[in-house]
Amino acid sequence: MKNADKKIKLRFWQKAYLLTLALFLLCINGGILSLTVYTHGENVKAAEEAAKAQQYYVAVSFERDMEYLAENGGSAALLMEAFGAHYKDKGLFIAFEKDGEILYSDFPEAYEIEGNSLRHADLTGKRHILISSEVCGGDYRLVVAKNVESLDEAFRSLMVTYLLTALGVSLFLAVCLYFVLRRLSKPLDSLRKTTQAIGNGNFSVTAEERGNDEFTRLAESFNAMLETINRQMADLEDQAEKKQMLVDDMAHELRTPLTSIYGYAEILEKTAVTEEQRVTASRYIMSQAKRLQKISQILLDEAFIRGNPPEMGEVALHKVLADAAEKLEEPGRRRGVTLTFRGEGCTVWGNETLLSMMFYNLAENALKACSDGGQVVLSCRGNTATVKDNGKGMTAEQMARVTEPFYRTDKSRSRADGGAGLGLALCKRIADAHGAEMKFSSRLGEGTEVSLTFTTRQ
Amino acid sequence: MAKILIAEDEQAINHLIKWNLELVGHTCAQVYDGTSALAAAEAGGYDLLILDVMLPGLSGFEILPRLQGLPVIFVTAKAGVADRLRGLQLGADDYITKPFEVLELVERVKAVLRRTKGEAKEFSFDDIRVELSNRRVFKGGEEILLKPKEFDLLETFIHNRNIALSREKLIELVWNFDFEGESRTVDVHVQRLRRKLGISHRLQTVYKTGYRLQV
Repeated sequence: MKNADKKIKLRFWQKAYLLTLALFLLCINGGILSLTVYTHGENVKAAEEAAKAQQYYVAVSFERDMEYLAENGGSAALLMEAFGAHYKDKGLFIAFEKDGEILYSDFPEAYEIEGNSLRHADLTGKRHILISSEVCGGDYRLVVAKNVESLDEAFRSLMVTYLLTALGVSLFLAVCLYFVLRRLSKPLDSLRKTTQAIGNGNFSVTAEERGNDEFTRLAESFNAMLETINRQMADLEDQAEKKQMLVDDMAHELRTPLTSIYGYAEILEKTAVTEEQRVTASRYIMSQAKRLQKISQILLDEAFIRGNPPEMGEVALHKVLADAAEKLEEPGRRRGVTLTFRGEGCTVWGNETLLSMMFYNLAENALKACSDGGQVVLSCRGNTATVKDNGKGMTAEQMARVTEPFYRTDKSRSRADGGAGLGLALCKRIADAHGAEMKFSSRLGEGTEVSLTFTTRQ
Repeated sequence: MAKILIAEDEQAINHLIKWNLELVGHTCAQVYDGTSALAAAEAGGYDLLILDVMLPGLSGFEILPRLQGLPVIFVTAKAGVADRLRGLQLGADDYITKPFEVLELVERVKAVLRRTKGEAKEFSFDDIRVELSNRRVFKGGEEILLKPKEFDLLETFIHNRNIALSREKLIELVWNFDFEGESRTVDVHVQRLRRKLGISHRLQTVYKTGYRLQV
């Protein structure tokens, strides 16, 4: 039971939940993040292209105006100033250099850029794209800075959107996944509860068989297993009860002769007895001792058959039956009962000693059931042997219990005959050892027929 | 003494019980199955029924509730507590399991009869009369004075008459279990009883066994 109570740190569904969620979040967030980064990159490229185009335009305009100045005369410095003022309104900073010397610059702070190139730099804390190129055949160098702080803003807002989206999706996923996995693992949980109940000794529970998946199959086979266990337990209980009854009966069977032996011996020891009384007491002691001996013999025989599978061979059944009839002829005559054997040559697969013992027992029982003028007929045909009498018969209830050890149909009488109530139990054991079917049919007052059907030779 | 009905299907045991009870002065009738046991008990005239539990016909457990006022001692081979309880709950006066000793049977019968019928007032043999109720003994009409333990011993012999009692058993019955004296004490008291009452021929020594009051 300790096992079942052991705390499960993480249940299956929780593990599945956490792993799936982690994997999912990684994929989704990674996807969104890379998309964002890509978008931003594209934006930057577009901004750079635009800045290049503007710088080119400025360069071209400046070259044209310089050509005009060269033809008509005028101050280059003024022109540069005009350009600066003009483009300042359009958000561009402009600088003109000649031979590494700044001729004009409306940059708010110093800048750094080499030759013909493009770079990003912060000017007054704002992001700008700086582009430089030589103009007028290399006489001048034009540097243009375009304000692209909107790029950063766009990136920031993109990031915010991304974060919010990711958070929303993640939350939604977490909640959905929780319920889905919870539900999927529910059969497993119910199965666990069932096994726990069984572990605690409650075998009357069954696992829930819902839906149609592996869990359902599992529950089904689990229930099938449970059923088998329950059936076997019932069988075992039944057997234990039968054994207890046997032990009780045996105690009774042994105590009865013991009581007599002890009691009559005590009388001989402690009282003054007449010669006649002495003989009576001694006879009781002897007959009861014999009875004990008989019980122990039969119990030994029975234990022997149980412990040692008999050696089998071909047995001439008709001979065994004829033998039993012959052996009982004399006791039969004394009771006024005739024993006859009718039958053909039958051969069965079995142990001759045990079969002789069994048919002797059966014939003896039949004999005892008969009164004066009774008939006992032993016969065989094919692989079936029957012992039939026209004695007192049995009721259905007696017939059902007749092979139980120590059972007697008529207590007082069979004891007077010296029976221990074990004969038929032994016969049943022998029949079982042969795989033979033993059947009784009887009617009260009309007689009993016992038939044994042997299986064909293995 | 009492009239006792014995219901026991084992002929040997039935006879054994009868023999033992008749030794100490009871009269017995025997039946061998449940149906005749019930019939005999209902016919009346008995002081006690000794009833085997496993009887053919009606079992002891079935008979017991149908008896009216007749004291019952169960006899059975089943020594289980459940069986014992069942018998006592059904109203049996006592319970005895096989195998039993003669003295145990006699003792229990005596105990049940004392509760239900009252004790015998006196017992006489030869010219001796013992007044059990007021503990006086007369021989030929003349009172003989006995010491308390001597009277107890005599009373024990009377209750278990015709049965030999070992010295150990006598010590247990007369001097109680905790007596730590010698078995010689028993011999001395027996000698005194024989002398005072002149019953040497009745109070016999049984070879290797003990003493027996043979009447």
